[in-house]
Amino acid sequence: MSAGSDKRLLVAWLALSAITIASGALASLGGRDALRPNAALTFGVIAIALVKVRVILREFMEVRHAPALLCRLTDGWLLFTAVSLLGTYVAGIATS
Amino acid sequence: MSASATRTAPLPEASRSWLGRVAWHWRYDPKLELWIGWWAMIVFYQLYGLLFFLVTRIQPPPDPSFDVPRIVQWFGDRHHGLLIGFGIVFLITGMLGAVNALLAYSMRRMSVSPAFAYSYLLIYSLSAVPGMLLTCIALVVGAMRPDRDPRLISWLYDFAFMAFDGTMGVFLIGSLVWMAAILLDRNRVFPKWFGYLNLCNALTEVVVAPAWIFKRGVFAWDGAITWWIDMVVFVIYTGVFITLIRKMIVREDFGTGPLPE
Amino acid sequence: MKNLATPASFVPGQPDMWAFVLFEAMLFTGYFSVYMVCRMQSPELYLRSQAQLDLRVGVFNTLVLLFSSWSIARCVQAAREGRHPAALRGAFLTSFLGLVFLASKVLEWSREIRKGFQFTTDGFSSFYYFLTGIHFLHLLIGFVVLGVVVYQLWSPARRSQELVETGATYWHTVDFLWVMIFSLLYVMR
Repeated sequence: MSAGSDKRLLVAWLALSAITIASGALASLGGRDALRPNAALTFGVIAIALVKVRVILREFMEVRHAPALLCRLTDGWLLFTAVSLLGTYVAGIATS
Repeated sequence: MSASATRTAPLPEASRSWLGRVAWHWRYDPKLELWIGWWAMIVFYQLYGLLFFLVTRIQPPPDPSFDVPRIVQWFGDRHHGLLIGFGIVFLITGMLGAVNALLAYSMRRMSVSPAFAYSYLLIYSLSAVPGMLLTCIALVVGAMRPDRDPRLISWLYDFAFMAFDGTMGVFLIGSLVWMAAILLDRNRVFPKWFGYLNLCNALTEVVVAPAWIFKRGVFAWDGAITWWIDMVVFVIYTGVFITLIRKMIVREDFGTGPLPE
Repeated sequence: MKNLATPASFVPGQPDMWAFVLFEAMLFTGYFSVYMVCRMQSPELYLRSQAQLDLRVGVFNTLVLLFSSWSIARCVQAAREGRHPAALRGAFLTSFLGLVFLASKVLEWSREIRKGFQFTTDGFSSFYYFLTGIHFLHLLIGFVVLGVVVYQLWSPARRSQELVETGATYWHTVDFLWVMIFSLLYVMR
């Protein structure tokens, strides 16, 4: 059991790190052109960040093993944050 | 443990009217002072809300970027509200003593050193001066003579709101003292999550600091971050501690060990 | 999925700390939302100002904190299995990585300030210093929390698994809040 959960933690950590580097690389792909607003990138980056936070919550913080209430509360917060941030972003794009 | 309760047990109370029950508590309840303090706290906060939000209308705070004529107009709009409202505030300020005493009492009931209670009492006794009184005085002085030099009125305006919103340091330290006491306490006077809520409250008091720098936007003294979000946290925090103190008083057994649930 | 080795459901550390985590998370969602609203009001200005930031530093900071989260998670596992020397090493590694983050942030701030990118420069810079500043404060508190964890693990007389897990829960929060801040300040366009 210990080796199994150790491996899970390692995989989670490496995956999170890889995604971080990838999103950084993606954002600087434009070079000097990176100064332009990019809705797809932003949307993707925020969504990815929320996924990363969910992995941290479920794997590192062990919400995976927690009672249903805690799972629902943390997922609820993630959903609320997603709606809040992405909703505001999309609304801002639409009205500009 | 419950010696005082058994002493008064023979007296009937449930059958009486509301007035009869109050009279019974006045004569026999060993926790009378605590309840008086708690009700004083309730009355004070209700009056505070009424006076600051509805009578004087200084909360939510006005815009720091108003120019001098606009500021004079702000005082003019609230002339009577300021004078009457703060007149009442000056009369009831002493009730804050009950609030501070109850909070300090909660720390004396804990297993931690009395130093926590006394330092909290000291800090919060002083904090009412910049945190409330200076603001009220400045605004009353501003309202008192509407024909005063507008630049002086503008000065009083800045002074009042910076005193009110910008001096959170004292409350910050006080919250941390209470937090530390709660987390170290072995008598279970308060749940640990309330200790952590004190930390949340303390952090929002740090967040007010940019109000000293910005005269407009979300970091000004009326900003979304420095006032509105902070006020939500403060209201939740206050509601929570009023409820928890009530629970503490109900559970109180005047012992020195863990408080019964 | 359900086998004998699967632990029964449990809340790691004090549920009280989870209440704190959720409250702080909501608070930060509030701050992030205000940031997003302000940003959408002047996207060009924010974008231009954002160019002053070094994305690589942001990535580095995120990697450091992710590493520290992994090490404190390992620490909790080790403590749970009674391997306290390994747990202590994990806690120390986490503290060290926290210090790396701290140093990196201070260096980054001083470099940015010298470049003229300051708290009052513009809307974006205000949010940058505000969000990284309030996060930094949480990091400093994190050192106190790690201190409690190390203190618990040090002597066999203590070693409260609950306190170790509670401390780890707090530290992970410092990490995941940064993950959000990184994406909102450094990466989003």
